Amino acid sequence: MREGLVASLALVPSVFVYGSVFGGLAVQAGLTPAQVLGMSVLVFAGAAQFVAVPMIAAGTPLLAIIVTTYVVNMRHYLMAATLAPSFRGFHRLWLALIAHLINDESFAVAVARSRPPDARVYLGSALAISGAFVGGVGVGVALGGLVERPERYGLDFAFPAVFLALVAVQLRRRTDWLIAVSAAAFAVLLALVLPGNWHIVVAGLAVSALGARVLPVEEP
Amino acid sequence: MSRVWLVIVGMAVATYLTRAPMFLALAHRPLPPRVRLWLRLVPLAVLPALALPMVLVRDGRLALGLAHPPLWGAVVVFVLAARGVNLLVSVAAAVAVVALLRALG
Repeated sequence: MREGLVASLALVPSVFVYGSVFGGLAVQAGLTPAQVLGMSVLVFAGAAQFVAVPMIAAGTPLLAIIVTTYVVNMRHYLMAATLAPSFRGFHRLWLALIAHLINDESFAVAVARSRPPDARVYLGSALAISGAFVGGVGVGVALGGLVERPERYGLDFAFPAVFLALVAVQLRRRTDWLIAVSAAAFAVLLALVLPGNWHIVVAGLAVSALGARVLPVEEP
Repeated sequence: MSRVWLVIVGMAVATYLTRAPMFLALAHRPLPPRVRLWLRLVPLAVLPALALPMVLVRDGRLALGLAHPPLWGAVVVFVLAARGVNLLVSVAAAVAVVALLRALG
């Protein structure tokens, strides 16, 4: 477990800052400190939380927010399926708890160390990352209330900026670009005609499903 | 219970449903390759589908003018992050550009 903790230390500062940026922006967007911390503990999925906050602030229908959260987090299926065999022999109660801590950073750390990933390395990392994230959110919540008129400092733009940065680092193959650009174009078109932010789910699912059907399968 | 808490609980359940089922089933077989490919492509499609309308659509209309600060912010964050600059540094630079253009405009 210590190995996973130590291997994740390099990521702790950036996860902490990421959490505090989220905490600060969410308070700015009108959520209460308890709601921001509650969301970070109960949902514990940074990207989806960044997605949800401006939707909540804009009064988007409940179902649209929840379905969007689900789609943004569908990548967890892939991580859960890869990690699961390493956890044979653990009690079901522990498994139910550990499942909640599945996150991109710990997955990356565990998979980079060994394939199949080691359960204890993964657990150590998950503890470090979840602690850093929730701690960061706490600090952000405390600081976020101090800024008045956030749009004056461009802080409202931090949400789309985070998403664009997350896309930019994932574009490795030419087909990745094809998927990203098609989804963006389709979503912009839909956003002009569809109400309630459904364009995210519709464009995201349609373009990725079409891509998975027509693109050649190559294992990374 | 307030609306926001309802959203949070709904999000928590939706997210847990993406984590727990496969994990608890201890998937003995790997997922079919096409399904793996699809799950890999979902974030690649969802994130741009999320970000671009936030940048380009305002009040139900396309905002493509060069005097639209978010457009320049988007270019800055995308180019920096693609070049391997730290995620938070890229975001901070884009936020600063947007704030500066707004102050000037």
